[in-house]
Amino acid sequence: MTDAYIIGAGQSDFGSFPDRSYRSLFDDAFDEAVGSVDGDFDPADVDEAFLGTLGVGGRQLGLSGPAVTEHLGLHGIPTTRVENACAASGYALRQAVMAVRSGMADLVLAGGYEVMTDMSGDHTKWWLGVSGETEWERLSGTTFAGVYAQMASAYLREHDATVEDLSRVAVKNHGNGAQNPHAHLGFECTLKQATSAPDVAAPLNLYHCCPTTDGASAVLVASEAVAADLADAPVRVSGAGAASGRVGLFQRDSLTGIPASETAADRAYEEAGIAPEDLDFAEVHDCFAIAELAAYEDLGFCDRGEAPRLLRAGVTDPDGDLPVNTSGGLKSKGHPIGATGTGQVVEAFAQLRGDAHVQVKDPAIGLTHNVGGSGGGVTVHVFERVEEGEL
Amino acid sequence: MTGAGNGTGRGIAATGLYLPRQRLDGAEIQAAWGAAAPVDRAAVPAADEDALTMAVAAGRDALSSGDLAAADIAHLAVATTTPPLEEEAFAPRIGAALGLDSAVSTTTATQSTAAGGEALLSGVDSDGPALVVVADAPEGDAAAVGQRVGAGAAAFLVDDDADVVLTDRTRESRDAPGLRLRERGRTEVSELDITTYERTTIRDVVSTALDRLAIDHGTVDAVSLYQPTGDIPHRIGTALPYDGGAIDRGTVVDDVGDAGAAAVAIGLLAALEAVDPDSTVIAGFFGSGATAVGLGFEVATAPETGVTAAIEAGEEVPYPAALRARGTIGETEVAGGGAHVSLPSWQRTTPQRYRLAAGRCPDCGAVAFPPEGACPACGAREDYELTPLSRTGEVAAVTVIGQGGAPPEFVEQQRRDGPFAVAIVESTAIDGDGSARFPAQLTDCDPGSVSVGDAVTGRLRRIYTVEGVTRYGLKFVPE
Repeated sequence: MTDAYIIGAGQSDFGSFPDRSYRSLFDDAFDEAVGSVDGDFDPADVDEAFLGTLGVGGRQLGLSGPAVTEHLGLHGIPTTRVENACAASGYALRQAVMAVRSGMADLVLAGGYEVMTDMSGDHTKWWLGVSGETEWERLSGTTFAGVYAQMASAYLREHDATVEDLSRVAVKNHGNGAQNPHAHLGFECTLKQATSAPDVAAPLNLYHCCPTTDGASAVLVASEAVAADLADAPVRVSGAGAASGRVGLFQRDSLTGIPASETAADRAYEEAGIAPEDLDFAEVHDCFAIAELAAYEDLGFCDRGEAPRLLRAGVTDPDGDLPVNTSGGLKSKGHPIGATGTGQVVEAFAQLRGDAHVQVKDPAIGLTHNVGGSGGGVTVHVFERVEEGEL
Repeated sequence: MTGAGNGTGRGIAATGLYLPRQRLDGAEIQAAWGAAAPVDRAAVPAADEDALTMAVAAGRDALSSGDLAAADIAHLAVATTTPPLEEEAFAPRIGAALGLDSAVSTTTATQSTAAGGEALLSGVDSDGPALVVVADAPEGDAAAVGQRVGAGAAAFLVDDDADVVLTDRTRESRDAPGLRLRERGRTEVSELDITTYERTTIRDVVSTALDRLAIDHGTVDAVSLYQPTGDIPHRIGTALPYDGGAIDRGTVVDDVGDAGAAAVAIGLLAALEAVDPDSTVIAGFFGSGATAVGLGFEVATAPETGVTAAIEAGEEVPYPAALRARGTIGETEVAGGGAHVSLPSWQRTTPQRYRLAAGRCPDCGAVAFPPEGACPACGAREDYELTPLSRTGEVAAVTVIGQGGAPPEFVEQQRRDGPFAVAIVESTAIDGDGSARFPAQLTDCDPGSVSVGDAVTGRLRRIYTVEGVTRYGLKFVPE
């Protein structure tokens, strides 16, 4: 079995582009990914594509994957649309890794796209929250923010944590995102701003919630032979973990963590042969501030209830022991649902090649963590730097 | 509220009551309109309430008060002038929500404020234990009838050997239209305001019916008469030998507002609560058209109906909030679609949504809610045995969905009732063995005041309406 390698990764600008189509946004992401390949890349060498999208707004609900590759001129290749809510492209990457490792394909395009900001308020209301458990959770009147707010209410009750700790996530991630030219909300914020913003779903305020975003991301996954041929410094996918969880929060034993994240991380660490302590950075799924706290604990960065301490001590700041969301995270970079998972890989790829906007010092191992809904589906990928000439 | 069942004939064995939490003070109306309000105070239904939810609340109160269980009920008689739909039976859903047997006979009286009397007679004339529920929430133009409309529901468990025995009943009908009417396709009641014609008709029709009751009119202790406003019962009383005090005992309109068909029924509860043992109580229902129903009761032991306490409870709301809650200030419709739950899918889950019917795994005994899919504990894929959860549970997680943030299904409700809390509630199985969690909306409370650990109790409410069909289910209210 060959290992799978990332040889290129790129994204469109993330933001609000109501006049852009999801296909043209993906063109941007693909072009940036191709541009990041060290060697001479021929799009005709792409064997297969896996593209993630929730399909917000309906749009091309059927066959939207082929509609994207057709727009790129990648005619004839098998293209599969992957839907796992906000983890759609995390799972698209997983499919690509499986295709390469199995030997069925040598070069696979994984990516995602979403357009969320071109609809009327009414249409937007219908589409936000479709990833929760529909029959019970949604029809109790809750929203996506509401479900994570319920988690936050239980977390604040169970642990020594405050609303200010939630706000520290926003301050850190906005600080990072302000350096990222692709970021949707690329501005800094103060702790005071992030604690005094109006509530969206108490205890979560506006600064505890990611925006709705338009954007696309693309990753080129290659076999060892192709990676050796096209990349000077490819990135190895050394751990690919994934897990499903109960779709409704109410159906889980824990209201303060995401069990599927824990399982997916365990699998990824085991495959990569590493422990959380070995990580040099992580891109985690911070759709809401509480999600980043839960991620620290689910991914084994600290014990249960210790996440606020990490934030307070600056452990996950860019100059800390384990920088988290140097891209700005979903909070600042933005969250175009289907594009988020492979968007995180864009940052991991850049970090491990020393090209990041907020560069961690000499990283060797990084992680991406992509959550669908409130935890119904999770992928965790571990990436390792490959030294020049190693392959 | 219970009767000991030692009476001598068929009548009222137990009673139930429901008044919406919100109350509008007449002073608010006076301030807004610059003229005296027609009632001192009115109960205002929340946007997620209607005649059906109030009927279920009152019916549940009656069933919890008496010696009869839901499974004992053989007949369900309901009355309202405001059924949720102009056409479609609504008694079956009340029966399902209360857990009545599907074989119960049902009757529905409507289209007249006299419907409450008709429903009580239907209950008395049936065989076996009957549940009679009268619920109403009339609407009117804010400049006219809307200034006095209220809401509420009364329920009566009717059985043999009751403490409150119906000793006689009379009717009077005559061709007298236009006193109170609602045109087809309209939701608002209107009046022609032909003062003398109206007062004379009401007084003559009601007093004629009551005068024919074979009782000793000189010993009547309390009377509930047609009461769209506080003065009307006394105007009727001028043609009858009852003193003002007896009439006051059965008059509640200045406390709950004009509750339509439910007004006289709630007044009857007040009358029953006010009298001593071995008393005579009268009810005089009236509906434009015109028809009157006279009922005479001999009260061996007066039940505690709880009217006084219910009237004193509640929370004052300002006039604009009341208008908003009633939908007077416009209604919205949300365009678009997505995440649609079909009607059959919803109906499949009504045992859970109405009565929290959870499942017990036959292999390991764990409790699953909803009772579908593999067992959450052992993974077995066996059919669950249904086991109900307690309607009182504890908040495990909670948030507040702010104005403008609601899912489309709840946009109109939120516009009318404001931000609402959504919780994950944990409730134990009624048999005491195990518990389960479920998501639930909270209602009838300040959403920001609810915390993890608080106790909450379920009430049937309107959840949302799609394709014209309102879906009902339990919401939860802090204890």
